[in-house]
Formats: sequence, structure tokens, C-alpha cells
Amino acid sequence: MNSSPITSWEGAAAYFTFADSPAMIAILCGLAVAGFIGFMATIIKHEKDAFDKHED
Amino acid sequence: MTPAEMEALKAAFEMHQAMNVEVFYWWCTAIMFMIHAGFLAYEIGASRVKNALASGMKNILTLSVVIPTFYFFGWWIYNAFPGGLVPADAAFALPWSTSMGPDVQDMGTGIFWAAFALFGATTGSIMSGAVIERIRLSAYLILTVLVGSVVWILAGAWGWHPDGWLLLDLGYHDVGASGVVHAVAGFFSLGVLMNLGPRIGKFVDGKAMAIVPHNLPMALIGLMLIIVGFFGFLGGCIIFNGGETGWTTIYGNPTNLSAFAFNTLMGFAGGVIGAYLTSREPFMTMSGGLAGIITVAAGLDLYYPGLTFVLAICGGLTMPLVGKMVEKAGIDDAVGAVAVHGWCGFLGVVLVGVFASGYPNTPEGAPEITFMGQFIGAVVMAITGFIPGYGVSLLLSKMNMLRVPPKVEEAGLDLVEIPALPYPERVPARDIVEGTQPADEASLPANGALSS
Repeated sequence: MNSSPITSWEGAAAYFTFADSPAMIAILCGLAVAGFIGFMATIIKHEKDAFDKHED
Repeated sequence: MTPAEMEALKAAFEMHQAMNVEVFYWWCTAIMFMIHAGFLAYEIGASRVKNALASGMKNILTLSVVIPTFYFFGWWIYNAFPGGLVPADAAFALPWSTSMGPDVQDMGTGIFWAAFALFGATTGSIMSGAVIERIRLSAYLILTVLVGSVVWILAGAWGWHPDGWLLLDLGYHDVGASGVVHAVAGFFSLGVLMNLGPRIGKFVDGKAMAIVPHNLPMALIGLMLIIVGFFGFLGGCIIFNGGETGWTTIYGNPTNLSAFAFNTLMGFAGGVIGAYLTSREPFMTMSGGLAGIITVAAGLDLYYPGLTFVLAICGGLTMPLVGKMVEKAGIDDAVGAVAVHGWCGFLGVVLVGVFASGYPNTPEGAPEITFMGQFIGAVVMAITGFIPGYGVSLLLSKMNMLRVPPKVEEAGLDLVEIPALPYPERVPARDIVEGTQPADEASLPANGALSS
């Protein structure tokens, strides 16, 4: 996968992966947010399961 | 030297200056991690054995939720809201901006973002200690994101940003974040505690009972680590400018690390002495070091060190008394966060108005420091912290998402939700809490570790 926004370091500015592709940045940003929300949902589920098991 | 050689020398000098700026904040950020190492140790130590690991888990996850959310929206809030509640254009601070990633020509954004993210994590950790042993981990993390990536940074935009309305309209001065970090987080914690309620066994017939730390030495070491981390925190509050400007405060007035060194150390010493005088107790005495620094942090650049020492003694003296008042009000603040951070942060901002009125501010049109400007600023910080803390925790409470069930609290959070034991070969906490081994047969120290 060619993710480089540059072909030369001469005059380079933002050079991170997909820096020249707003669509890819939006997708990756969305994935990062989704990962975070998934993590929070997992904690809530773990707590509920652990508390239910203990109360049983 | 030829003109070409002079140009080359100038370019090399400027590059090294820019690199030094990055190096400074890189190490400030690294040292700030010590604050979280300290909170980790001191909250584990302050908990009872049955909750030791659950308390630690909160601290570990604090960083993991504040860092990404500060990337997603925290940095944007700082840059978009200096004028109040209506956002200005700050598209460069949104996570999909090309400014928010590696850039050969930007040697500043990432390092400032990192320092501010760690300030945010500190606000979460301030709340963390207050709510140990009965808050749900999920609720804590939601509230941590709120205070660490929204609330404090909104207050920071108002009181720290060069275009912040508190600075431009009132001349607000808070160089070491007494208000924007400590008062905000302390009053946020107070709002949460009011809805969370006390730990089971904390109040019996209206009388406050002692629920003592299971490992006081660990708690004391943790507090000392926080002090170490404060040097990174306070260093990160100074602006390392390129060019001929040199060090300035976040408000643009000249200062230097020497000023901060005088007053940080004198503040620590005064706070410890003050807290010792009114408590004679090691946890409070060590907390007094924090209280002293927080009390003088807003004016670290301005105070005479002798004055700093006296003010820090006052902060340390009053902190345990405020903690007792909070307890008398029926609020169970397990580590005194409201007193140490809320009270001393509030006091610190006001004291600048008392002892440093008349100092000029540098932004054009900004008024000089005044008592009323500082007092109003302190009230704004307290309200900005308290209202969202109280409101969102009330909502979580109504949804039954704030507090663990009583049976779980009595058994201990480690037993129920943490798949590990803190001291598997030493203290048979699991056997005791399950009632298979009486506490008096377990050779436990009489430290109240299993009092409930």
C-alpha cells in the first residue's frame, strides 16, 4: 500500500501516512473514534457481567 | 565571515533553537508521567486491600482515555473557545487537519498538544482519588473524559489562551494552573462526590468513621512522585520562545525557570509545614506539599519567595480544615482532593489578586491584575468545574450507571471485576472477604483495611 504523500523530502511539510488523502484520514479518524467507543462499551459490558455474576 | 556563512550560521542557530523548544516540552511531558505514577501508587495505597487493583486500574486507564479524546476534540476546544461558548475557527486543531500529525515544518504543535493532554489527564487523576472504592469504572472514565478533555480545557481556553476572555477582560493571572487545572478538577470532583455518596461504613449514625489506607507508605511515596511530576507540569506552563524573546509565561510576560524554582520549592516547604501544624499526620503532611505548591502556583512568576512560603503555609494549614468541613457535610472525599485541589486552587487564584495587583499584562488592551479580576476568575473556575461534574454524575446516577451495587462494594471491586490479586502470597484478602478466614486469624495489621 503506497501511503506516502510525498515523492521527495525536498520541501516536504505534513508527511504522515495518507496526509494527501482527506478521505483516508476521515476513515482512519472514524476508525479511531469507533475503537475508542468500542473500548468504552466493552468496559460497561464487563462490569455488568461481573456484577451480575457476583449478585447471582 | 562571508554573508553566506552568516546565513548558514543563522539557519543552524534557529534550527537548534526550535529543537531546544521541542526537547524542553518533550521532557516536561515525560516528567509529567511521574504525576500519574504517583497517583497510581497513592490511590492503590489509600484503598483498602479489597480495592487496591481496581483503584490502580482507574489510574492506568485515565491516560488511555484522555490522550485520544484530547486528540479528537480537546485541542480543538482550547483553540476554538477562548472567547466564551461560541466556537471560533480552529480547523487547524481538528484531528483530520494536517497540523495534527508529523510535519517537517511544524516543530511545535505536537509537543504542545502532548503537554496539554497530560495536564488533562492530571485533572482526571485528581478526581480519581476522591471517588475510590465505589464508583463504576465506566462512569469514572466517562467523567474523566469530560473533565480531562472538555471542562478543564474550556477553562484553559478562557484563562490561559492569549485571546482568552478572562485575560483580555479581567486581567486574569494563573501561570501555574491553580485555577484552570486544580480548582476546576477539585470542584468537578465535589460535584461528582455529591451524587456518588460515601463509601459503605464511612458514616455511622452521622459520624464520620476512619477508613484508613491499607498501605500508607505506598501512598506517601506516591504523593512524593506527584511532587516530582509537578516540575514537569510547571515547566510545561512556561513558554520557551524562539528568537530573542526567551522565557515568558503563558500570558507573554517575561519570566524564567529561576523564578519558578524559587517559588515552587518554597511553596512545597511551606505547604508541608502548614499541613503538619494542623494535622500531625503523614498523609495530610505530605498532601500539604501539593497544597502549598497549588496555593502559590498562580503567582509563581511574581511572588517574593518569602511571601510564597507564608502563603503556602496558609494553604497547608487550611487544607486539612477544609477537608474536615467537607467530611462534616457528609461528603466522603477519600483523599482530600476537594480540599487540596479545589480549595487551594481557588485560594491560589484569589491570592494573586491580593498580593500581586497592579502587575501589567502584555496583550494589548488587557487590564492589569486586580483583586476583582482574580476573584471573579476563581469563581468562574469553580463553577465551570462544579456544574458539569454535578450534572453529568447526576445523570449517570439516575441511569444507575454511577455507583457499584452494594454487594459488590462490600465484597470489594478486586474480587468482582479484576482477574488478579494484589498480594496473593501475603494477605489472603479473598478468603477474608468471603468469610472463610476471620480477620483476626489472618495476622493482619490493625489498620482498618477490612473495616467494612
